[in-house]
Amino acid sequence: MKMKIGAFVGKLPSWVKALGLAILGAALIALPIVYPKSYVMGVMCRIFMYMILAGSLNVINGYSGQFNIGHAGFYCIGAYTEAILATKVGLSFWIALPLGGVMAAVIGLLVATPTLKLRGTYLAIVTLGASEIIRLVALNWEGLTGGPIGIKGIPSPVLFGFKISKSIHYYYIFLALAALFFFVTYRVINSRIGRAWLSIREDELAARSLGVETRFYKAINFMYGAFWAGIAGAAFAPYFKFISSDMFSLDEGFNILSMVIIGGQGTLLGPAVGSIIVNFLTEFLRPISQFRLVVYALLIIIMMWLRPQGLVGASNSILAGKKIGGNLSRRGKGGAAVARAGGR
Amino acid sequence: MDYYLSQVINGICQGSIYALMAIGYSVVVGVVGLVTFTHGEVIMLGAFAAYFAFQFFGNNLILGIIASFSASAFIGIFVYKICYERFFDAPRHISLLLTIGVSMLLKNLTQILIGPNNMPLLGVVPNKFFGIGLVGVTLVQIIVIVTVISLSLLLFLLFNKTRWGIMLRAVSQDKKAAALMGINVKVTSMLGNCIGSGLGGIAGMLLAIYYQTLIATMGGSAGMKAFSASVLGGLTDIPSAALGGLSLGIIENLGITFASASFRDIFAFIFLLLVLLIKPEGFARKRGVRP
Repeated sequence: MKMKIGAFVGKLPSWVKALGLAILGAALIALPIVYPKSYVMGVMCRIFMYMILAGSLNVINGYSGQFNIGHAGFYCIGAYTEAILATKVGLSFWIALPLGGVMAAVIGLLVATPTLKLRGTYLAIVTLGASEIIRLVALNWEGLTGGPIGIKGIPSPVLFGFKISKSIHYYYIFLALAALFFFVTYRVINSRIGRAWLSIREDELAARSLGVETRFYKAINFMYGAFWAGIAGAAFAPYFKFISSDMFSLDEGFNILSMVIIGGQGTLLGPAVGSIIVNFLTEFLRPISQFRLVVYALLIIIMMWLRPQGLVGASNSILAGKKIGGNLSRRGKGGAAVARAGGR
Repeated sequence: MDYYLSQVINGICQGSIYALMAIGYSVVVGVVGLVTFTHGEVIMLGAFAAYFAFQFFGNNLILGIIASFSASAFIGIFVYKICYERFFDAPRHISLLLTIGVSMLLKNLTQILIGPNNMPLLGVVPNKFFGIGLVGVTLVQIIVIVTVISLSLLLFLLFNKTRWGIMLRAVSQDKKAAALMGINVKVTSMLGNCIGSGLGGIAGMLLAIYYQTLIATMGGSAGMKAFSASVLGGLTDIPSAALGGLSLGIIENLGITFASASFRDIFAFIFLLLVLLIKPEGFARKRGVRP
């Protein structure tokens, strides 16, 4: 596997990239008109939603080298915030959607704060715990969250008097959200903030000595990832019309994590590829669905042994299993993250 | 008052189980030098090994301890071979993600092979009750506390009086220096991983006996409690980890007198956050290698 997809795409002239994106976008917009089967639409909705979830987890794990393994918790907060605001307060979806994201970001800041000074391991266990605690609170706070019964009958969003209720309509919502996510994340990654994240991932001590306020940027990074997980949850709640706490178990978090690892951490394309692969696998494994997580676990182990940077990852970053010291001489080869982090 | 006193006794009993899990965790992290997320699953598998030993060979506690220790130690070899052996020099996130993968694998395989439901484990210890002054103590609680104390003493002797123990301590302090002294670091790390996992397995058996039930998903909260308790010792210091486990048990049982028992797992999390906020490096004596 010496093929470097990222490097290959990086070398193409910009008009080719723009044309490719335009064709892809047109094809995705046209798909429901050409092939409006509700099963396909449902699968596509899930793929787009998991693209946002895996992409936002990748911003935390892949771009700044922190370890969040309880991403399902923030997804859960977004979904419950939207559901409660829509059913109890009667807020419109379009206001509840960003509020779900903001709520998840605030909780994310609370979770991450005690560990900002420490190594990534502590953040990993704190996020794991937080995900489980959020689920337990949702399960036991019956007055607000409906307890074990969950929240039923979440109203469909209304856009200019048009009620969005079918999978085809949700397809466009999820497509738009995913496109927005990728655009905003692309801009952020290529800004001053994104370069600070990359430098923290490659070598936190060096980054700090170069004047990067690491704790601030790590907090920003965690909040950004949690925000988009909340958005995905808030969009999921009215789509599924029903949420309960067992949809957001630790296994859901591991599911998202496996997408990021299989696709490739630290690349924008990786989680998208991972989401497509894992969701197709889910569909293929439906007859033996109890083996689903076993297969994902084996895939994580195989990926870590053979290709730790994931399917589309760059091969000369710290994510590929190489420490940075030996890598400096290879700067400039390919579209590598190391060169990007230090070169501009 | 009686009620609070008996809650404290319950807390000490559960806390000693948590202490044993935390001791196992600290041995693993200290000797191997990399963090593990499989400890909860190792605890769960130890509990199941003891369960099958009790089913097939009768309710013999010594047999249960041997079964759970050896099963978990065997899983320790498996975990070591997959997650650690080739990755001592690689960036840490690789072995960390591998342990997450292995823990997913073990949990879901157990769920498929044994079943996802609660399994009762009754009558291993006769249901006796001793009244001491104002409070009562059950036989199970005495057995749990005695087992944990004697295992801790055994571990203390192993670490301080035997050649293996000196090797284990040397590897946990400095791998390169230990290798220069002629210690086989890889074998010793594997041994440490096996001992830590085995202690976790015995803790799993004690949990199953204490609650009289076991389930394939018990590893998640058990692993988190082991981690929370050993944070007090900076993840590597064994006596502080035991103290952390004990205090975690007492805090939990006093906590559920104020809140509902379904919020039990939240106290471990609050304990973890408080320790990380107030004294993130723990009470470890040595300051040096940290995972």
